[in-house]
Order: sequence, then structure tokens, then C-alpha cells
Amino acid sequence: MTYKYFFGCVIPGRLPFLEASARKTFEKLGIDVSDQTQYSCCPDPTGVAALDHKSWLALGARNLSLYENDNSDVLSLCSGCTETLKSVQHILNNEPEEKEEINSILKKIGKNYQGNINVKHFAQVLYENLDAIKENVVKPLTDLKVACHPGCHYLRPSEIIQWDDPFEPITLDVIVEALGAEPVDYELKKDCCGNPLEKSDKNLSLKLLQNKLESIKNSGADCLVCVCPACYQQFDFNQREVNKRYNTDYNFPVFYVTELVALALGFNADELGLKFHRIRVSDILQKLNV
Amino acid sequence: MGMLKVDFEFRKEIVKEDFSLNYCYQCGTCSSACPVALATEGEYNPRKIIEESLLGLKELLIKDQKPNVWLCSTCQMCVEECPQNVFLTEIFDILKNKIVQTGNYPEAYNIQGNAILEYGLAILLTTPIIRRREQLGLPIVESANIEEIRKLLVATDFEKKINTNGYSKTGKGEK
Repeated sequence: MTYKYFFGCVIPGRLPFLEASARKTFEKLGIDVSDQTQYSCCPDPTGVAALDHKSWLALGARNLSLYENDNSDVLSLCSGCTETLKSVQHILNNEPEEKEEINSILKKIGKNYQGNINVKHFAQVLYENLDAIKENVVKPLTDLKVACHPGCHYLRPSEIIQWDDPFEPITLDVIVEALGAEPVDYELKKDCCGNPLEKSDKNLSLKLLQNKLESIKNSGADCLVCVCPACYQQFDFNQREVNKRYNTDYNFPVFYVTELVALALGFNADELGLKFHRIRVSDILQKLNV
Repeated sequence: MGMLKVDFEFRKEIVKEDFSLNYCYQCGTCSSACPVALATEGEYNPRKIIEESLLGLKELLIKDQKPNVWLCSTCQMCVEECPQNVFLTEIFDILKNKIVQTGNYPEAYNIQGNAILEYGLAILLTTPIIRRREQLGLPIVESANIEEIRKLLVATDFEKKINTNGYSKTGKGEK
């Protein structure tokens, strides 16, 4: 089985440099991934599911049917998309009545859901290719202290996600370690970044972020790593907002794990568009001598 | 506060969608695991939302929105820790879907819903982003045929369920 990308909405439309790092990384590692060009919004498990369950289910099932038709597994670049697609599969594969209803809707657009492919988060695929990563590291990220933020939908609900440990997540730390960097532990590691609350209460969203940043500060990390575009935006775009509001001085560069892998594989900052980060990464690059 | 009205039909409606509601014995593990309950010093309280659902307190949940179910960050910690396997976030989505029918919900959700009706995606590509993609050597974004997406969403009555006032299929989606 080969993979096709599921890019989602946020990465192509707001954070294309993250897409660039993923494409370069997977190509370099020799993992066969191609594009699927007929997808829609996954749809957002924190947004559209709240508006209407049936529409969320139907759009998700349509997306899955595209990959089934291509005989490809999904390689998702976003934790939210991963959660939606896995949840839709879980519901439709366990509830025949829902499946029948959704398929009667899909029939109107000439599509059908079967439930016979795998949905994988890109970090899972990286973890499953650790040997290839280790073999291809040319610029080890020596002495870089990294706080990993797995985020919520990469882990939970574990019954549906079926990946990593929902309480003691380790997969990102293992990937970061394979690059020669040093993962650091911190108290609020499994906690939410606060991003979804931006839709209902910005103050509360920033409060959760501040809790998280304080915990990371106490860990002595040089930077933080995440695997979801919503988390990325929260950490990279809103850190200064937190500083203004709470009179703090957090200044953690934020990396997608594919960016760190790509740096270790020898890609340079220009190719990866690291200048598009809002929190400057130059000190880190200097430290790594890349 | 006036007398609370127990609405058994309302409770049945929720249970019909997710029977795990009935498993709850109100231990409060959910609220102790909830980062929002902690940050709001208990003003947001998942245990209470479940209690009100069990009692069918429709007016409190849907009209007054006390506690405010939109403050759930969907982090799924409550679901993970619940000793009774109550699928809290799914129950919260059932409540949110019902609130959406009343029209009294945060606008940001509406912006997203309308963007999907208009583009099939939640975010429209702006000119600077298109230019940035070129600089990075990325291909042009191709996604679903919007007529196909609209046809699907007609079949689910999406447009009738959400507030589309002030949005048009030729207007602006998410800013």
C-alpha cells in the first residue's frame, strides 16, 4: 500500500513552509507519498462536528472514499484531520445504520465508503521509519534541548487514535532523539495548547497557552516541537500576545517535527522557509551550526 | 432562579445519540482532569454538563448555556480518564448541535461553516500565501469540486442548520 497526503486546510492555506518540510523529508527518506487533489476540509473535529454531526460525518466519509478509490492509505499532516478521519472510520465501521445512511448520501455524488484503508498521522510514519531517519542524518542536532508537545488529537481518544500513550506520550521524544537532540520532560506535556478555545474565548485560550509555556520554561528547553498546525499557530503566533498580557518573556522557537528532521537530513533554512516563523529561529540555527 | 424543569424527552434525545451518558455516576474525574475547569476555577465544569444532561435540564443547557459547553477545548482528557467510558465530548457535540439550531452560538464556528459551504475548505488561499507557496516550490493547491461538496451538504441540510445570514456564496469566507 502506498500513501497519499491529506494536507487539510491550515497547512496549505496558512503555513505552507510546514508542507515544504514534510514533502522534502518524506522524499528524502524514500517513502512513497503522492498528492490527492479532490479532498475537502476533513472537516475540523473542533468546529464542524460542533455545528452538525451528520455533515461532519458525510464530508469525512467522502474524503476517505477518495483514498479507498485510489487504493492508498492516508498520510495526514495535521492531528485534527487525523482525529476526524479516524473517528469517522470508527463510527462507520462500528455502526451499520450510520454507515448505510452516509452511503445513501454519498451515492448522490457517485461515491461510496467501505472502510478498508489506514489513516496515519505523519509522525507515526516517521516513527515507523526511524532506521531510515538515523541512516540519513548528516547534521545531528547535538545539544539541542527540545520540549515535545504531542497535542491532544495526536493521542486522544486513545480507543480511536490507537497510537502512542495518552498519558505518557513518548513517540516524538524518540524521533527527536534519533536526530541527535535531547528531548526534555515537563509537567504539562500532555496538556492542551488552548488553540480551539480561540473560537469561543480568546482570554481562556491564552491562559492555557501561558500555563503550557511556563511549564516548558521550567524544563530548560531551547525550543519546542509540535505535530499539529493548530498547535503550531497557537505557540508561534500567540506567544507574544501571552507576553503582553501576562508580562512574561517567553521566546521559544517553535518547530514542526518535520522541520527538525529535514534540518538533520541536511536541508537548509532557506529551502525550508524558516524565515516565515514569527518567533525567530536564528539562535537555534547558530547553535546547531546549520 | 425559578424552578428547574426536568425534560425527560430531552434526555432521551441525547441518550438516543449516545447511550454512554447513562453510565455516568457523577464521580467528577472528568472535571479534575479538565484544564479548562482548572483555568476557570470550576466555572466550566464537564461533570455538571453531564449531570444536567442526565436530568434533562434543557433550558439550562441550551438557552442559558450554564455551564457554557463552548468552553470545552476538545482536549479529550475527560474521555480518556472517565472510569465509566462516558464519551463526554461526543455528548457535548450533541448539545452544541442543538444549540446551533437556536442560532445562539459563537460566530467563529459560523465563519468556518460558511467557508466550507463556499470553498469546500475552511481557509481560503490569499495572494501572499499563493506567492509564498511559489517561493517554496510548492504546487498549486487543488481540492474538491465545490459543486460536489454543496450537493453533499444539501443532502445533510447543512445550510438550513447553520446561520448563513450575511454570508453568500460569492462573498468572503474566513478572514
